[in-house]
Formats: sequence, structure tokens, C-alpha cells
Amino acid sequence: MAIIDFIQVSIDGLLYGSSYSLLAISFSLTFGLMKRINLAFGSTLLFAGAISIWLSQFIAIGIFGTLIVVLFFSMLANLYVEKLCFAPHRKGKGAVVSMIASFAIWMQLDEISSQLLPDRTHSFPELEIPSLYGETILIRGNHILHLTIAVLMVIILFLIIYKTRYGILMRAVSERPETANLLGFNVERVNKMTFALAGISGGMAAFLILTSESQITPFFGVWCTIKGLVAMMLGGVGSLVGALIGGLVLGLVEAHLTYQVGANYREIITYALLFFIIIIFPGGIMGNTIYRNDKSATERI
Amino acid sequence: MLEVKNLETSYGLIKALKGVTLTAKKGNLTCILGPNGAGKTTLLFTLSGILKATSGQIVFENKDLFNLNASLIVENGLALVPENRLVFPQLSVRENLLAGAYTRLRKHKEAVNNDIDDLFKRFPILKQRSSQMAGTMSGGEQQMLAVARALMSKPKMILMDEPSVGLAPMIVDDIFSIIKELNQEGISIILVEQNATKALEIGDYFYFLNQGKVSFHGEKSEMSKESIIKSAYLGQ
Repeated sequence: MAIIDFIQVSIDGLLYGSSYSLLAISFSLTFGLMKRINLAFGSTLLFAGAISIWLSQFIAIGIFGTLIVVLFFSMLANLYVEKLCFAPHRKGKGAVVSMIASFAIWMQLDEISSQLLPDRTHSFPELEIPSLYGETILIRGNHILHLTIAVLMVIILFLIIYKTRYGILMRAVSERPETANLLGFNVERVNKMTFALAGISGGMAAFLILTSESQITPFFGVWCTIKGLVAMMLGGVGSLVGALIGGLVLGLVEAHLTYQVGANYREIITYALLFFIIIIFPGGIMGNTIYRNDKSATERI
Repeated sequence: MLEVKNLETSYGLIKALKGVTLTAKKGNLTCILGPNGAGKTTLLFTLSGILKATSGQIVFENKDLFNLNASLIVENGLALVPENRLVFPQLSVRENLLAGAYTRLRKHKEAVNNDIDDLFKRFPILKQRSSQMAGTMSGGEQQMLAVARALMSKPKMILMDEPSVGLAPMIVDDIFSIIKELNQEGISIILVEQNATKALEIGDYFYFLNQGKVSFHGEKSEMSKESIIKSAYLGQ
């Protein structure tokens, strides 16, 4: 493989991976910080995208309007998931019940979305960003935007989670909801706000990816779930920087292996990678100690 | 100050408290002793609003606290230090304290920071560790943090659930002298304790719980070591 190809493939992979990073960062909020397994997350993003397309049949909302609609409905759908699946089982014992319930909502949201989008593919408004053409290398403008927004999202979420009053509440509630309740926290509201935040950042990710692909299919939800989960686990569950890095690494590995063995194997590569992460280093790249700490006391109260 | 009358709490069909009546006077250190399963922790959980009682009365400083939400009970000046500390292990020491002042944090950030500085003077070890994750500290340090966290809500009365459990005897002495100090500064305390000898050293008034009922109660002067040990461990 010529060196120039190697560079081009690496750049493509890293930049394409920034879309995965965007997803992984939003996944990190629910899965990593709140420790909730929300299988419907990808579907809420599909649903938000589908609503924006459906609305645009009746009113011209423009690209900016589309952004607002996607953000709003992914937040709303995520709150709906929280209300139905997670709010009734706050004490940690219902983790499996919540997960199965979120599976049902996944089906429901996917079904609604495919009713809204009867065709297999629908075009999605495109965000026109000039690409960079070097003598031999091409860098897509959209992907640079993704990377920039992903980095910005990590910084903003980091500030929210580690530097604000709300961030302290959020982490306290996710660690020991009963103790948080004891100290007088409004546990329910903190949970809702976190799901809303995850919805908004997920909506941002979905919007950027859809405008870059300029199309939406009914499989977008599952695609988001798989890629976001793998990138998140690769980076290390619970770490925002890990999610960013995990996405980029997933993109890089996919690009190189696809270049070597062909595009048909792209999905197989993703699953194989997931398999190897789980077997070889379950903690991920930023493997943290969250699950090593004493959890027995948490169950008691 | 705190008056409890005929308090009953059940876990499903099992009655854990079968009509507990007790009074804790202002400024007193009231001890609640009893064998395992007597309902001591259930009593504290009911007082602090985590468990709901089925019947009875809880009056604190002439306010009815019966079956209020936990957050309202904290605001009324009752704070619980739970058994096994239950600090937030992934939060730093400072963040744990901020979490304890949750109800005041939005409007009185300045005052909260001053309170933290005051607490750091009382517990220098916590100052040294202020940015360390609470889960990495020793049991005794976590117990101090749990007490400090409860103090952040400016309580009039602290409910302590077995502060000595799982701690080395030397550390237990430290914790008990802190409890005594707080009491002397005017904070009323209800102390649930398995360590009856230790409790006898610092308590003012004693209640014995057995199978969900008060079996007897009295001043410190009425207590002989033998009677305490019989009641606390043998349930007689």
C-alpha cells in the first residue's frame, strides 16, 4: 500500500470516526454516568430525524429549523423513555427490567419512524461545507465539523459534569440514589435532566451525521446504537475523553480493514472489534476503576 | 424536642416497629440500644423519611414530621448519618460536602464554602484529602466525612446509625469524642449503637428496643452495666 494511500485512509478513518465519537459521547451520559442501559437510544435519534423529515413535507423549516426539531424531539423522546422505562425502577434492582422495557420502546419508536418514512431512503437536508483538496489528499469539510463539535461537546459536558452544582448532583444520584434522596435531593428531577441532556447531545450527533450523509433510512437507529456502543466500550465506559478516542479508533480500524478486505466486511469488523474489546480489555482504552470500587454498600440501603 | 408516639412501620406483612414511643430532649445525647433485628435502623429510617410509617406520631420542635419526604425532613433540621457511612465513593471529599449542602447550594454558595472551611478546621484530615475520591479513604475517614456531610445541612439534631461499625477501636474512640464534642456544642443527637459500653460512656438518656418495642428506658444514673448488656444483647 502506497504511503499516500495509507495517509488518506487514516485521515478518512479518523474523521469518519468523529461521527462515532459524537454518538459515543451521548451514549456515555446514560450508560456510563447514569449506569442505565438504554437500548432505545439509537431509536430516539431515528425518531427525531424522521419527525423533521415528516414536518418538512408541510412546512419549509430549513436547515436551522431541522436542527431545532431534531434536538427538541430527541430530547422529548429520551424523556419519554426515561418516564416509561427508568423512572419506575430507580432503586437499581430493576436494571434488567428497565433494559427490557427500553427494548420494547426501541421497537415502538422504530415502528413509528418507519410509518413516518414509508420509503427505504429519504433525503436529508445537506450542510454545505467546502472540503479541503490537497494535491493528493481530500479532507471532507463535514467531517472536520464533526471532529470540532465532538471535541467541543466533550469540553462542554466535562464542565457541566465536573464543575457545576448540577454535575455533582448527577454523579451523586447515579452512585447512590438512596443516599442522595436522604440528603434531600430531588432524585427524579436530576434523572430527568440527565436524560434530557443525553437527548440533546444525541440529537446533535444525529443531526451532524444525517446532514453529512444527506439521507436517512429506517436502519439509522440500530446503526447509531451499534456504533455508539462499540465506540463507547472501546474508549472505556464512563469516560468522556474515552468516548471521543474510542470513536476515532473505531473509525481508523474500520477504514484500514475495509481498505484491505473490502467494504462488505465493514459491519463484521465492527462486531469483531467489540468481541475483542470485551475479551481482551473490558475496561476500554481509558479503562477506569468505576466498577472496581466497593459496590456492596450501595445495595444495602 | 423530638417526640415519637406509638410509631409503627412494616416491611410488607412484617411489623418492624410495633408502637415505639420515645422523647429526645434538646441538647441531649439519646442512645438507642438493642439486639440485632430490634428495629433500631428501621426507627431511624422512619424518622428521616426514607421509610413510611403505618401509624403513629412524629413531632420535632412542634412541627409534625410524620411521613414527610426525606428532603423536607432535612430542611427541618434532622440529618441522618447512615450505617456504613454511604459516602459517594466517586465524588471528591469536597464534592461530598457540597452534596450535603444541596438545599443551600444554589442561593448561598459563599456561605456553603465558608462552612466547608470551618469543617476542615474541625476535621483537618478531610482538608488534606479534599480533592481525593471519597471511596479511596479509610473507614474512619469515611465516617468523619459522613458526619461532616450531615453537618453541612445545619441540622438541629443528628441521627447516627452505628458509627462504630467496622472500625478499629482507636478510631472508634476518635469518632465518639467527635460525637461528644458536637453534642456539647448544642447539637442534639440520637445514637443507635451496638457498642453498649461505649454508648454508656457518652449517652445522657437510654432507650432499649426489643422486637420493635421499647423494653425500658432511663437516665444514665439508672443504668448499670449489667442491665445494659443484658438488654442490648440478650434482649431481656
